[in-house]
Amino acid sequence: MNRRAPAHLKTLRRDGYVITLRRAEVAFERRLFPSSSPEILAAVLIMTKLVEWLFGVSVVGAAWALVSFDLLDLSLPQTYREVAWPMPLYLLVSFGCYSLATVGYRVATFNDCDEAAKELQGQIKEAKEDLRKKGLKM
Amino acid sequence: MATGVDQAVGMSLVVFSLLLFTYYSVWVIILPFVDSDHVLHKYFLPREYSVILPGIAAVILLLCIGAFTAVIMWKNRKPKKVD
Repeated sequence: MNRRAPAHLKTLRRDGYVITLRRAEVAFERRLFPSSSPEILAAVLIMTKLVEWLFGVSVVGAAWALVSFDLLDLSLPQTYREVAWPMPLYLLVSFGCYSLATVGYRVATFNDCDEAAKELQGQIKEAKEDLRKKGLKM
Repeated sequence: MATGVDQAVGMSLVVFSLLLFTYYSVWVIILPFVDSDHVLHKYFLPREYSVILPGIAAVILLLCIGAFTAVIMWKNRKPKKVD
């Protein structure tokens, strides 16, 4: 298989295998990185989750910039622009509040295990006695 | 169920975060749609502070984390051995 494909279509995977790219993959990568090395090609192919997330974030970011800075001159009402502008900060603050609430709730509803605690204390005493007998200084 | 102090701390965290979330949501989302002579505006600071105050809080948080890390690393430094 490697003898049939030309060298510029082969790429080195992270696990050490050399694979051949399909034509569409090559075209996609060539458009983005005209003079890329095989390692960069392989890295972008492997990290598709990262590329996916970056794409999603940039789409949302572009939508936010369009609305809050009026880049397309859509002349939205001033109140909508005023609401949209602090949106990233608002999402960050609400995420922080959610995290705080989750931590607080889990702290409040955490179950104490009394018998397990007593058993553990007993086992610690036993172990200390045993070690003391064998000569370890505590 | 967790014992007294744990429950109190946990519930207070939940209530605090709910209050903060409601106040901030009203401030950022609802207030621009309310007429400027409504009585509600009396209870909220000017809108610029809705961006400045979280910024200051973030800076203080980063300072605390940095200071904590510095203290821990200072305590754990080992003196160089002299051969």
